[in-house]
Amino acid sequence: MKILIVDDFSTMRRIIKNLLRDLGFNNTEEADDGLTALPILQAGGIDFLVTDWNMPGMQGIDLLKAVRADENLSSMPVLMVTAETKREQIIVAAQAGVNGYIVKPFTAATLKDKIDKIFERIDS
Amino acid sequence: MDTSNHVQLEAARALVTALENNDEQQVEQQLLILTQSQESDLFQEVGKLTRELHDSLNNFDVDARLIDLTENEMPDTRDRLNFVIKTTEDAAHKTLGFIDQTLPLTSELKQTAEQIDESWHRFRIKEMNADEFQSLIESYLPIVKQHSEQIHANLSEIIMAQGFQDITGQVIRQVIDLVGEVEGNLVQLVKVAGKHIDNNTKDNKKVDPIKAEGPQINAEGNPNVLNNQDEVDDLLSSLGF
Repeated sequence: MKILIVDDFSTMRRIIKNLLRDLGFNNTEEADDGLTALPILQAGGIDFLVTDWNMPGMQGIDLLKAVRADENLSSMPVLMVTAETKREQIIVAAQAGVNGYIVKPFTAATLKDKIDKIFERIDS
Repeated sequence: MDTSNHVQLEAARALVTALENNDEQQVEQQLLILTQSQESDLFQEVGKLTRELHDSLNNFDVDARLIDLTENEMPDTRDRLNFVIKTTEDAAHKTLGFIDQTLPLTSELKQTAEQIDESWHRFRIKEMNADEFQSLIESYLPIVKQHSEQIHANLSEIIMAQGFQDITGQVIRQVIDLVGEVEGNLVQLVKVAGKHIDNNTKDNKKVDPIKAEGPQINAEGNPNVLNNQDEVDDLLSSLGF
């Protein structure tokens, strides 16, 4: 299981990477916005995407839409970890096919809970 | 009633009387008076506008501070805010680095405690003699001492790394003061130059409802903003998630 972590702040990438490692996911890769993430995803080998929303270049919501529109990536689980908390934003993310939505600041327990739920749904 | 209005009213009354009396000469004369007073109003209006323009130009002179703010202080403020990002980032990485160093030490301490516990148990059931137990304890104790000292040093470094808050707090305060000053100057500028701007222009702004805004400040009581993970989960489950 290889996870791509997309966030423009290196500290947040590091925090998510450490939390994922504690959850047993040791294989991670990083990108700092949608524009750098998309080629990594298209090159293949990524199984799970964790992305922020508010980033320069390509934003997380547009990355999600691009992933869903790409036939090779369309079924990839996408977990959004973001400080964006407007009702419309969450509705748009849900409509775009996000698999989980975590608001910052978040806890290790929340991250585990959302990842577990995503895998439960995939398995069932 | 000012003199100009008084003259106009008199002329208008005289004009009506002249028209009723069919007095052509009087009609022409009163019309002339009315036209002249109209022209004099126009001259007064032009004079007023000229004065306003003059005052406005003088105010622009006064607003040299605004130019200084735009040319010098704004770029400086951008640098200051970038400094805040860099400083907080460095502090966060420093803290995370010391935590990364500390976590394996705590794991080793736990492991050592388990080993002491196991040795103690074996000693008590006489699977281990006193000499063996003593030498094992002597090998564990330095680990406990060294690791505890290292953990203490790492935690002290983490405390020191929080010093960023003082540094960045001072810079952010300077920026808040500057934004306040710019706001004051802009309000002044709008008062001087913006009198004739159509008030409707402010309503034309279209807001993108999903534009990324970062963390919501003062969101309490705003029904469009969700305040925590539970509210987000509730919304998503109401959407059939």
